[in-house]
Amino acid sequence: MRVPLSWLRDFVDVDLAPEALAERLTLLGMEVKGIERWGAAWRSVVVGELLTVERHPRADRLSLTTVTVGSGEPLHIVCGATNIAPGQRVPVALPGAILPGDRRIERTEKMGIASEGMLCSGDELELTTDADGILILPADTPLGADLSELYGDVVLDVDVKPNRGDALSLIGLAREVAAATGAPLRVPTVELAEVDPGVADRLRVVVEEPALCTRFVGRIVSGVTGGPSPDRVQMRLRAAGMRPVSNVVDATNYVMLETGKPTHAFDASAIHDATIVVRRARAGERLETLDHVVRELDAETLVIADPRGPLAIAGVMGGAASEVTDATTEVVIESAIFDPVSIRRTGQRYALRSEASQRFEKGQDVPTARIGADRVAGLVAAWAGGRVLRGRVDTDPVEPGPSRVAFRPARVDRLLGTSLSADEQALLLARVGIETEPAPAAAVIPVAAGDDPLAVSVDGGDARVALVPTWRRDIEIEADIIEEIARVRGYETVPARRPETQMPAYRPSPLAVRDAVREVLVGAGLVEVVTHALVAPASLDQLAWPDDGDLPSVEVRSGGPVVTVRNPLAAQHSVLRQHVVPSLLDVLATNERHGRSRVAIFEVGKGYAKDTDGPREWWRLAFVLGGAADPAAWSRVERPYDLDDAKAILELVAERLSLRAPSFVPDQRGAPFHPGRAAAVTATIGDTGGPAAPGFVTRPGAIAVVGHVAELHPDVLAAWDLRAVRVLAAEVAIVGLGGGTLAAPMARPLSRVPSVERDLAVVVREDVPAGVVASTASRAAGELLRDLRLFDVYRGAPLATDEKSLAIRLVLQAPDRTLTDDEVDAVVRSVTDGLSVDLGARLRT
Amino acid sequence: MDLETMTAQLERLRADALVAVEGAADAAALEQVHVSFLGRKGAITEILRGIAGLDAADRPRIGAVANDVRGAVEAAAVVRDEALRAAELESRLAAETVDVTTPGRRVARGSRHPIAETVAAIDEVFGRFGFVVHEGPEIEDDVTNFQMLNIPADHPARDLWATLYVDIDDHLLRTHTSPGQIRVMRETRPPIRALLPGRCFRYEAVDASHAFEFFQVEGLMVDEGTSLADLRGLLDEFAHALFGAARATRFRPGYYPFTEPSVAFDVECVVCDGGGCPACGRTGWMTILGAGMVHPVVLRYGGIDPERYQGFAFGMGVERIAMLRHGVHDLRLFMENDLRFLEQFR
Repeated sequence: MRVPLSWLRDFVDVDLAPEALAERLTLLGMEVKGIERWGAAWRSVVVGELLTVERHPRADRLSLTTVTVGSGEPLHIVCGATNIAPGQRVPVALPGAILPGDRRIERTEKMGIASEGMLCSGDELELTTDADGILILPADTPLGADLSELYGDVVLDVDVKPNRGDALSLIGLAREVAAATGAPLRVPTVELAEVDPGVADRLRVVVEEPALCTRFVGRIVSGVTGGPSPDRVQMRLRAAGMRPVSNVVDATNYVMLETGKPTHAFDASAIHDATIVVRRARAGERLETLDHVVRELDAETLVIADPRGPLAIAGVMGGAASEVTDATTEVVIESAIFDPVSIRRTGQRYALRSEASQRFEKGQDVPTARIGADRVAGLVAAWAGGRVLRGRVDTDPVEPGPSRVAFRPARVDRLLGTSLSADEQALLLARVGIETEPAPAAAVIPVAAGDDPLAVSVDGGDARVALVPTWRRDIEIEADIIEEIARVRGYETVPARRPETQMPAYRPSPLAVRDAVREVLVGAGLVEVVTHALVAPASLDQLAWPDDGDLPSVEVRSGGPVVTVRNPLAAQHSVLRQHVVPSLLDVLATNERHGRSRVAIFEVGKGYAKDTDGPREWWRLAFVLGGAADPAAWSRVERPYDLDDAKAILELVAERLSLRAPSFVPDQRGAPFHPGRAAAVTATIGDTGGPAAPGFVTRPGAIAVVGHVAELHPDVLAAWDLRAVRVLAAEVAIVGLGGGTLAAPMARPLSRVPSVERDLAVVVREDVPAGVVASTASRAAGELLRDLRLFDVYRGAPLATDEKSLAIRLVLQAPDRTLTDDEVDAVVRSVTDGLSVDLGARLRT
Repeated sequence: MDLETMTAQLERLRADALVAVEGAADAAALEQVHVSFLGRKGAITEILRGIAGLDAADRPRIGAVANDVRGAVEAAAVVRDEALRAAELESRLAAETVDVTTPGRRVARGSRHPIAETVAAIDEVFGRFGFVVHEGPEIEDDVTNFQMLNIPADHPARDLWATLYVDIDDHLLRTHTSPGQIRVMRETRPPIRALLPGRCFRYEAVDASHAFEFFQVEGLMVDEGTSLADLRGLLDEFAHALFGAARATRFRPGYYPFTEPSVAFDVECVVCDGGGCPACGRTGWMTILGAGMVHPVVLRYGGIDPERYQGFAFGMGVERIAMLRHGVHDLRLFMENDLRFLEQFR
């Protein structure tokens, strides 16, 4: 709501500087978002008086004028307007003046005659819409005065919250200023000089939908002459952000800004049979609205109609056929109260949200139906010269009094943490027009309103009753009264203290596992990213990352029907993603475009799907590695990331979560993976436990990490237009990622006996995975094996071309004694036998 | 050979040996000297072979001389050995001189995203006051996201939340973390102190301060006597923890359908320290969060008796806090994931 201070001062005195007033309003809950200085764009524009006006000798359409600005020699100014005459006071832009739009005025020559400045139109000053004539100022305007002093204004931009429809008006905001400063409020009363015949003889109003139109007040002004409204009115409307249209239309807008009551003016001649019907539109009915769009109406739409058809969409927009024009001689003023929900829905359905509809949506103060009609009628008569016909049509002239809201002064203090006497509370409420009185013996406190209201009965001695003015439709329950007390007193007076209440029971953070995983990835050199959950539908097909639905599931399974946004902002953000890796590839591509080659990033993010019984969301860890694992430095050569780096990260994660080392099983599906460089990964709970999550049984062997790690297929890199030759990616489910706790690692006693190391070179066929060699050897080694590590792979002579030699180190140890050579030999023999029998392996000698 | 001759030989040998010890250039040469003079086949041994030709009475005397010589040479050798070792160490260390001005050999370390880091910072402060983290779904139902928060369908307040709807009946992408209040109240009983971080969505065009996906942290505290004064006290603690103990705060009326009274909470502008600058709209204040006393309707939807219990809730935009903490002026940077930006948060 734009509030010109000059207009606000009609209703309340303001002694404060604009900034100070803005702060007071802000602290009262009427936040001032901006302060605009209206007319600040004018420089050196002063009030002058025309001394002479003569025809230009060489141009019929120009006049030569002499103008005095009160001091100095009269100025000679050439002017193109025709509405000027000697004796008029007009705005004069002196040489060096600046007008809106940074237009500079200098001494010029027009058709051979010098012009020492310019006479200004209302449009040139952005004060009125009149661009043809010079703005003629009232005769008593002080000569020589700076125009910005006279007509400049300060406009506050007040953010009126949706619950305070009453403050979408100058009078409403003046009430707030009065509450803040204590200055008296001046609400004008409307006194009309009425003439016969009475309106009742000239207008019939039938409300067929009384639930949607609870009150309809009609007035008629007869004998009007269309034209522009007074300059001062146009200036105020402009400052308040509305475009001046005509005297009649401006009167309705002026009253809406002043009182908050939207009204509509019809050309009476367009109302057939002098009968207005408020009804729902009928299917197939059409109406050309004021914006000259022909709209198909539906039965949900409330219309103002005459017996022939719709005239206007009630509360939203008038119709073109009944629009007031310069030819209009009689005006019917509609000042009605409509159902807020109906107006809101209609506005949304037709994508028509007007200043009027926004006020109707927030609910209307019932008496303003009468006040608005009277005030508009009076202004139309004043500005358009008509006569107000006697009386009104009013479908519900009985106006409600203040509503009664009982409250407990002790509750005020309990909720606010203050200690205020009931009298202090009453005084504070009085400042916003809320009187209080003692409660009846059995008082009923409204605690909650709405569909399921709650009221409690208390002893009247503990309560007071607040008498809430009709315009404060937002105050319904005790808590509303409490807020009002706090607001008027100033939130700044609420003490700040730390709670002295009972502590809640301990509850582990559901972020524990997620944070532990993040810490591992950061430590491993990866940068965390946060990407959009909303992605393009195409990106779902661009990378067919496998779902883990067919694997033993931990947490929430992935995959399923895609969730689509019904009203997306843009196609590229119209569906919810199911995998995180594609988003990471987007980030990789973006950073490559910035010239980065090394990109190691991760995200702990969600995937989404819909099931027949509703939505499903799951957490995943995903990471992508591209470029150099070890960037080149003066002391070291560059090494590109490869699959083993990606696997090592998963191994670190498993270690951090106290899991067994993950196992990697070749995944040869091909795209989106490199067919020879992809693995399904699983990690299981070890003997000493692992992360816990609701619904997950933490027992040794239970799967706690599941997913895939792979080098991406070159086709995928091409699809993302990546420069990187190799990109590694992983996406895994981890138990507890969606909310779980970590196990404390269990310490084993340190052995006091020495361990023995034995290295074996095992020759196997090329297609035998090292992981299988390791697991076979571990099984065969038995309980004396402490550690088994692959430390070399050899291919080449004298091995056959389809053979490779794996060097593995066995670390053997008994818990309680030094192993004998015989014992060690027995283990080694068992391992070599096992490898030989199970895998056809032989020892390389 | 007589005593004198032998003594003279030993003395000459002493002199020779000491010269040789002094002259040994390194440990190996010193060892050579040691062997050649004091070894089993060394010079002293050689001289002492002649002891058999001496009088029995002279033998101990020449033995004493020999021991003295041996001791002197041994001692000189030890000294020389230490000197040599010291010199050797010194020269090795000198040879090992490196250019200390070359850059260190870095272990690659990643970084946490500033949003996650800011959530952690918020959690850290409220965690110390007993707030525990809860989480709710991002695809929320209309009833929990709006209606149970006292925002009925067709209420003008809905304009405060431009909503993205999904193709699941009565579901939407949560517009705020506030529905978590309802979930927490239904899951737990007072005393409640909950913190609800998470991703939110709005139908909002992207600019330097708006995004259609963003993060919020909601707080909720409910107990028998929890008051607006408690809210103010905790928010002051929070503001001081994040923005410095000297930073002034401002508590003023706000509007949310789910709180009554509602609060807007400002801190002294972190750019101009309250003097007024473009960043704070020349007011000297920056709003960092919205809050208020939980509306009785919301308490009731949460299954809590508003006659017995009362409490407060607050909600803040994580990006907003992160921008103020880290001097970031464009919210879009958080989701652009330009590594040049993210790596500044290592």
